[in-house]
Amino acid sequence: MNEPFPFRQVFEGKWTQGAIPLVLLVALLLIIEIAAPGFLTGETVSLLFANTAVLFILATGVTFAILLGGIDLSIQAVASLASVILAQLLPSLGLAAFPLAILSGLAFGTLSGIVHVKLRVPSFVATLATGGVVTGLALWVSDGRAITIEEAGRENTAWINASVAGLPVVVLISAVIGIAAFLAQRYTRFGRQAIAVGAGEPAAWAAGINVDRTKIIAFAASGMLAAVAGVVLAARLSSGSPVLANQLLLPAIAAVIVGGTAITGGLGGVARTAVGALIISIVRIGMTFVGVNIFLENMVFGAVLIAAVAITIDRSKIAVIK
Amino acid sequence: MLNASHIIKTFPGVQALRDVSIEVRPNEVVGLIGENGAGKSTLMRVLAGSYRPDGGSLTLDGEQLRMRSPRDAARYGIGMVFQEQSLVLNLTVAENIYLGEEDRFTRFGIVNWRAMNAAARRQLAKIGIDIDVTARTSELTFAARQMVELAKALTLEEVVERQLLILLDEPTSVLNAADIEVLFARVRSLKSRASFVFVSHRLDEVLAISDRVYTMKDGAVVAEHRAAEVTAPELHEIMVGRGLQAEYYREARQQQPRETVMVEAKGLGANGAYHGVDLKIRAGEIVGIAGVVGSGREEVTRTIGGFLQHDAGEMKIAGDAVHFGSPEPAVRKGIGYVPRERRLEGLVMFLSIAENISLADLSSVMRHGAIDYGKERRLAADWIKRLRIKAPGPDAACRKLSGGNQQKVVLARWMTAGSRILVLDHPTRGLDVGAKEEVYELVRDLSAQGVAILLISDTLEETIGLSHQVLVMRDGEITARFDASPGKKPNQVDLLRAMV
Repeated sequence: MNEPFPFRQVFEGKWTQGAIPLVLLVALLLIIEIAAPGFLTGETVSLLFANTAVLFILATGVTFAILLGGIDLSIQAVASLASVILAQLLPSLGLAAFPLAILSGLAFGTLSGIVHVKLRVPSFVATLATGGVVTGLALWVSDGRAITIEEAGRENTAWINASVAGLPVVVLISAVIGIAAFLAQRYTRFGRQAIAVGAGEPAAWAAGINVDRTKIIAFAASGMLAAVAGVVLAARLSSGSPVLANQLLLPAIAAVIVGGTAITGGLGGVARTAVGALIISIVRIGMTFVGVNIFLENMVFGAVLIAAVAITIDRSKIAVIK
Repeated sequence: MLNASHIIKTFPGVQALRDVSIEVRPNEVVGLIGENGAGKSTLMRVLAGSYRPDGGSLTLDGEQLRMRSPRDAARYGIGMVFQEQSLVLNLTVAENIYLGEEDRFTRFGIVNWRAMNAAARRQLAKIGIDIDVTARTSELTFAARQMVELAKALTLEEVVERQLLILLDEPTSVLNAADIEVLFARVRSLKSRASFVFVSHRLDEVLAISDRVYTMKDGAVVAEHRAAEVTAPELHEIMVGRGLQAEYYREARQQQPRETVMVEAKGLGANGAYHGVDLKIRAGEIVGIAGVVGSGREEVTRTIGGFLQHDAGEMKIAGDAVHFGSPEPAVRKGIGYVPRERRLEGLVMFLSIAENISLADLSSVMRHGAIDYGKERRLAADWIKRLRIKAPGPDAACRKLSGGNQQKVVLARWMTAGSRILVLDHPTRGLDVGAKEEVYELVRDLSAQGVAILLISDTLEETIGLSHQVLVMRDGEITARFDASPGKKPNQVDLLRAMV
């Protein structure tokens, strides 16, 4: 068959699924600029980045789980628990509360990974269950209430809300995390092996890759970054709560998929998640701008996620969709 | 009754069927033989409606067939008994027989199981088989499942007016002699009501059951015989169709193996799949294992590749005792496994050639602790040139390559990883003749470089032609060992005697 333009070929190309979101992002920015000239100033852009930071950090973590062909549904619970731990411990421990809160995420992420791999439980079940355990723990520790970070504690969180050389610290934090994750995914053994496992686990295993270890590391990273996101969120809101990150699971996964990482694994990466997170963030701001009720946000993200998966899924790769 | 004329079917990189014409007459059993990759299974799938031919026409009693799926084929009275059984194991026998036909037993949305079971029982009785229709299919023996499949195909009688055409795709490959006799008796008694196409690569069986035999080779029908007028050796010669065996397998390049023992097994056993296996493979030596399905040779190769653990005896790799739990330690010991399931275990099909080549030894393309993409691409480009891999470039996805080129990528990966031992599990399955010869050439190169090779293969000729030494396995044991030095190659009959 002679097509005038090889649409199929272009769409099947590896880079296409990464380029389309970028085009979409630029188009969204242009629309905003046309609708509200002068919107794209340094100040608003830095605000946009700051507002995207938490979502991006969460989404970066879950990117690794998705690249492997799995999913991490525990991230919002882990982030919330980290916020509770931070708020609880700040008054007594000061800055030491930060690493402890983040370690809790690492621990539960590792736990999810081990359950998934060693007990051979599908990752969505393993992380759903871990998420339940973590939420229960957070509710118990906090007595089911939000914990305000008081004046004494706020001294230790102020740095997160500060700016360095005109850039909000949260933006710097997410930039550092984003770059580290990008390098890990693209240039390390772990990153390449994660992609190979997602693209074809039996062949990756047969080629001598330690699939179990790769998966556990990915889920550990996902848990740890979820906790980092929780800590940043707590510092920004000056509060820790067992439900603090409850509305963030859907947008985080949507950011990964909209950015161009395949839900089936093996294709995509952290750079794409950065683009996806910005798209989600802009859509959110746009909705506020247009006056969409804030409660309807997740309806939109749900629809966006379904659309993104339906459009991008490679049907030649999976015979049966469960 | 069925007339297939000038059928053409092409897959990416392979012309599976080139201008194939066959006919099937009423109440006839037609045999279809050929080596693996000759196109038998593809032709069957075209007849069964699973594949749509790219050219040619199919007519049944003069009527043009238009089939998009096996369901359409069923409407014409064409049923298939699959090589890989197509029963759903956790359903009952009756549910399987009427899978997809539940409507016939359904009233007001509720299935009348009693009626379905009774119908299934009648169906089995017709072919004289006594199986409990309410039993779970997973509880049946392999042979019994085959009978259920046959019964299932015959249910078409109940809904189709014309005579049935039943396609049997290698139904005997996993049956023992007694079960084969039972199957053949059924086919003979059913001949009055249906025609059959019978595919097998066991020539004696084909001659025993068929009225007429078509021989396929490289995607074309090369001969047609009345079964009574031809012998198995004659067919074999046509099927293989090459005189110069020695040259085909590069026997002139077969060299004396070196002294170093790379693989040594003593009293090796696993899971009841095999036991008491002793073998030694020296550097540069090719050891072939012959045996039928279930002989345990597959499990022996998978043990050495690290896919299966042994639970008895000991295994030494280059002198060190090992016990592999997964392929990872085996790869670290310098073992490379070239699997039969190339698309599943051989290559990560969605990654590029470059990514697949570096996969087993990423350190070969890393610099200062980071993957060097330029180096990775150059390495792949180098292999593409050296092995004459036909591909647009190092970034091409492996799924777009032909089977032979995919196999070269797998071998390039193990050479990159510096494997000193290769396990070749049906290395030429599904490859065309030209690609096979290139693989043989490569195998000889590797052997000359001192790589120890364990080989299992689809054909005895390949095993004999390539190996220095041939072991024969039956029922989990080694039953014979043959020296296969050039000029002293054992013949197939000797091997077969030890195999069955």
